[in-house]
Amino acid sequence: MTDQNMNAIERLATVKEERMKAKLGKRYAKEKRFRAYGVASIVIGLCFLAMLLGTIFTAGWSTFYATEIRLTVTYDADAIGVSDLNDESQLMFADWGALVKNAMKERFPYVSGRSDRRAMYSLVSSVAEYDLKDRLEANPELLGTTEEVWLMADDEIDALMKGQVDMSVPENERRISDLQNSLVESLIESGELKKSFNTTFFTNGDSREPEQAGIRGAMLGSFFTLLVTLALSFPIGVAAAIYLEEFAPKNRLTEIIEVNINNLAAVPSIVFGLLGLAVFINVFHLPRSAPVVGGLVLTLMTLPTIIISSRSAIKAVPPSIREAALGLGASKVQMVMHHVLPLAMPGMLTGTIIGMAQALGETAPLLMIGMVAFIADIPSGPLDSATVLPVQIFLWSDLPERAFVAKTSGAIMVLLGFLAAMNLLAVYLRKKFETRW
Amino acid sequence: MTTLAKDSMEAVFEGWTSTVGKPTMDSDVRMSTRNVDVHYGDKQAIYGVDLDIGKNEVLAMIGPSGCGKSTFLRTLNRMNDTIDICRITGDIILDGDNIYDKHMDVVNLRARVGMVFQKPNPFPKSIYDNVAYGPKIHGLVTRRAELDEVVETALRKASIWDEVKDRLDQPATGLSGGQQQRLCIARTIAVSPEVILMDEPCSALDPIATARIEELIAELSENYTIAIVTHSMQQAARVSHRTAYFHLGRLIEVGKTDKIFTAPEHKLTEDYITGRFG
Repeated sequence: MTDQNMNAIERLATVKEERMKAKLGKRYAKEKRFRAYGVASIVIGLCFLAMLLGTIFTAGWSTFYATEIRLTVTYDADAIGVSDLNDESQLMFADWGALVKNAMKERFPYVSGRSDRRAMYSLVSSVAEYDLKDRLEANPELLGTTEEVWLMADDEIDALMKGQVDMSVPENERRISDLQNSLVESLIESGELKKSFNTTFFTNGDSREPEQAGIRGAMLGSFFTLLVTLALSFPIGVAAAIYLEEFAPKNRLTEIIEVNINNLAAVPSIVFGLLGLAVFINVFHLPRSAPVVGGLVLTLMTLPTIIISSRSAIKAVPPSIREAALGLGASKVQMVMHHVLPLAMPGMLTGTIIGMAQALGETAPLLMIGMVAFIADIPSGPLDSATVLPVQIFLWSDLPERAFVAKTSGAIMVLLGFLAAMNLLAVYLRKKFETRW
Repeated sequence: MTTLAKDSMEAVFEGWTSTVGKPTMDSDVRMSTRNVDVHYGDKQAIYGVDLDIGKNEVLAMIGPSGCGKSTFLRTLNRMNDTIDICRITGDIILDGDNIYDKHMDVVNLRARVGMVFQKPNPFPKSIYDNVAYGPKIHGLVTRRAELDEVVETALRKASIWDEVKDRLDQPATGLSGGQQQRLCIARTIAVSPEVILMDEPCSALDPIATARIEELIAELSENYTIAIVTHSMQQAARVSHRTAYFHLGRLIEVGKTDKIFTAPEHKLTEDYITGRFG
């Protein structure tokens, strides 16, 4: 070391404190700025989330409440035109609407004239008569008796009750007439009109009548679809990941497979839908619109996600555990089954649940295979025609009736609820099975 | 590596022919290797090693980092099989059986030649399950009571029984490092091996835990053959009967431990044990 160097360092020592102070100030400012950027971006993100949830909740909240009207119904055999409930030919021509109409006439005897009466009848949902039919068929002894029944109100009345109808505009420009309004008011006064929890929304399938439309069909469709997806993609994905990580030789072929799995994860989902249409429906002639085909298509879509996350979970198992097992004379399969797999399982489950959540929210590929049809029946198995929650949302968002706006948001809320529950489950499983070494 | 070491190495390998000392034994041989070469891809890691390990003997293998002693140790129970590019030639005989013979089952071999690793690596399971795992997978026990006995004996032999007998069902990962390593030794002896290979078993432990393992090695040598790789020359001097010095993949010198540490014949051995490199 020369004298010159020593001098330079000695010189440095004299100015060190002062220069460092100046530099430190800048450094602090920089750090503060950087933190501010981070906070700002999180705040912006939260704002968007709040806006999204806010609009959905305000629009969809009302769908969980429905207006019902209490009527005193007399199950008059003559009015319906049915004397024997077991006679199919009589049931075919039965006039169930007469039950509702007679009950209304009885409640408001002062309403007369064709158009006024028609306005009066339309207070009650046009499908309410089928509720009465169902009740009667379930209890045939009711025929000829009188009972009080809560029937679903028409969606226009429901909208009125939810404050969505502006009564200040001229009568001919609104969908509720003054007569209807006065009838509703008298019903409210006598306690014959109430808002209650909308169970129909959760027990019914899709319907053209907004007050009767429910998401049970879509929920079950989603359930069956995910069941098929899970049953296929979890074992296939985990087996593929184990083979690729633990058994496959590292050569050109496995490299190509690896690259392609990563590529598949980035393929737009609608492409998988087209593939499903071309292969599962056109070649294998599986039923159209069925959850089994949806499940197959979503399996193709989720497999890369599951394989990739399972592989990284397997990679994260320390090699020392493998050596310990092999050193004791465990075979490779024993090593994988007894040690690697249990330790990698939480990671695999997390990846699978995230893949499932993705599949639950997927719409595009299911449009391709016909799960976008209007299906009022509730599916009872993966081979029945069905739709799924996101597609149901898509379908309802397209309909003109005002009540479907709230339905759409309500369905979105249900879907988000399921997604949040699945993600929480993933977090819980990860925490529960986390191993500390 | 210092310049000095490099010079002496080149000088020596110029005319290197064979191992100094007596690598082979006349009787009571447990394991012997003849002309063993190990390649990792194109790179040769071990050059023609001939070495015998006697019954109830503790053989220490020392040498600078990268000299191939761990590689050599791992060839003795075929742990190198897991590395695709690793190729081994030569003969390794365990009690008359060539362990690289096609008829030799590696599962059987590893039940006969157990291994303790550098870092304690208990399974993240209970203490009991750790020890019971070996006997279970090899089907060595038929009844639960028998298994209990095997576990207890193994833990006693590894002198850890008194510390863990009240918490056998607790996770092994909760033990201290030294206890974990003794548990790993217990796990190894639970399958009743003939040979125990130890790859720097104390390098992750504090001096007190190290002393306990060393005591344990002395006790175990009454029943087992032990080959131990170590970086600590004091440890080699304390625990082993014979010492083998490796340098750049060659077995330079073998001899009685006393002799190696007091009067090494080869210059490289002398340089290493006097601390001039390594």
